Amino acid sequence: MSDPIGGVPYYILEFGDELVYFTPYTITLFLLALTFTVLVIISRPERQMDIAFGGDAYGTKEISLTELQFRRFMAIACGLASMGAMVTGDIFNFTLFTAMVGITNVGIVAAVKSHHVQDAAFQYGLVALCATVPLFGGAAVYAASTGSLSMIELMKGTLPAVPLIAKALLVIGVVGEGMAPFYAAKAEMFRAPGAPYVIMCSLSSLLIFLRVVEVVMLG
Amino acid sequence: MIIRKISHVLCEYRNIMPLFAGACALLFLAGILLLPIPYAEHQLYPKYIDRNSTLDPYDRGGPPFVQVTIGSQYPENSPSAGLVTTYLTPFSLFLSKTTLHLGTTIVAHPGGILDEILYNTRGLDTVVEPTILFIAFAIASYLYRKG
Repeated sequence: MSDPIGGVPYYILEFGDELVYFTPYTITLFLLALTFTVLVIISRPERQMDIAFGGDAYGTKEISLTELQFRRFMAIACGLASMGAMVTGDIFNFTLFTAMVGITNVGIVAAVKSHHVQDAAFQYGLVALCATVPLFGGAAVYAASTGSLSMIELMKGTLPAVPLIAKALLVIGVVGEGMAPFYAAKAEMFRAPGAPYVIMCSLSSLLIFLRVVEVVMLG
Repeated sequence: MIIRKISHVLCEYRNIMPLFAGACALLFLAGILLLPIPYAEHQLYPKYIDRNSTLDPYDRGGPPFVQVTIGSQYPENSPSAGLVTTYLTPFSLFLSKTTLHLGTTIVAHPGGILDEILYNTRGLDTVVEPTILFIAFAIASYLYRKG
């Protein structure tokens, strides 16, 4: 293996044609996703306070139990998808996990009973929907131009070079799913109460963006 | 100053969707201009299409329960690959014997062809794909019940 980008893999889990590998880079990201998922499972969500300026009125937002349960479920699913995306050694699996991160991000905030938040989540959902075309298109060009989908094989440098357009499609797909530089829409979504679950949206998109940087440097 | 103007446009979240769609369109245009993209002749998963088969695009060939040769990256990891290529439910078998177009109705009838070839060689794909679908169903049903 010549000059692996994320370091020499500590361990390669053989799983049919889809190898899962742990390099120093991917294991760091994986542990981050794992830690945050455990935090989401065990933590109690925050309750937002509304304070009226110019007076002494304040109140706590009431969140129903079913809403919290649903959002926790979505946050855990998002954490699992992020973990999968961090360690998978297969281009197509990476795109699938990324698409799952995108849809769970929408799910985390879709349960909130605020018109403004739901509107932002809907717009974000449209972007995630749109992003699946370049995302899977990129993976298809990877498969067509190199003949393989395995990242381990791409690392070896024996396969034909990956065209720049495939990498660009993959990156813009991940940008759309994770909304990496466009946090404006997410800032609107962050108005949703329930701290650990909402932060999962941000963390998962950061992680998939960090991972795609490694993926595009492989071939 | 220019950054302030850009962030002013971006802070309105309704602008994000057209902006992203525009970026995608530009990239697709660049992709078309960069054609032809080289095609690797040695494909990991080769596909041969037999137009006369009733299972047209999904016919994997081979007699039932006899191992056929299937291209895979790491054959040593999946010794059972090729033993089961496709599985037809009795209803699908009936359809495949009466019509030539079962392959086009793969998602249009319950329990169509389970693509066992993918399940046996690649594995996790077939698990993650329905997971995404079920997550989408969960969100939609939650929103519907909430009203």
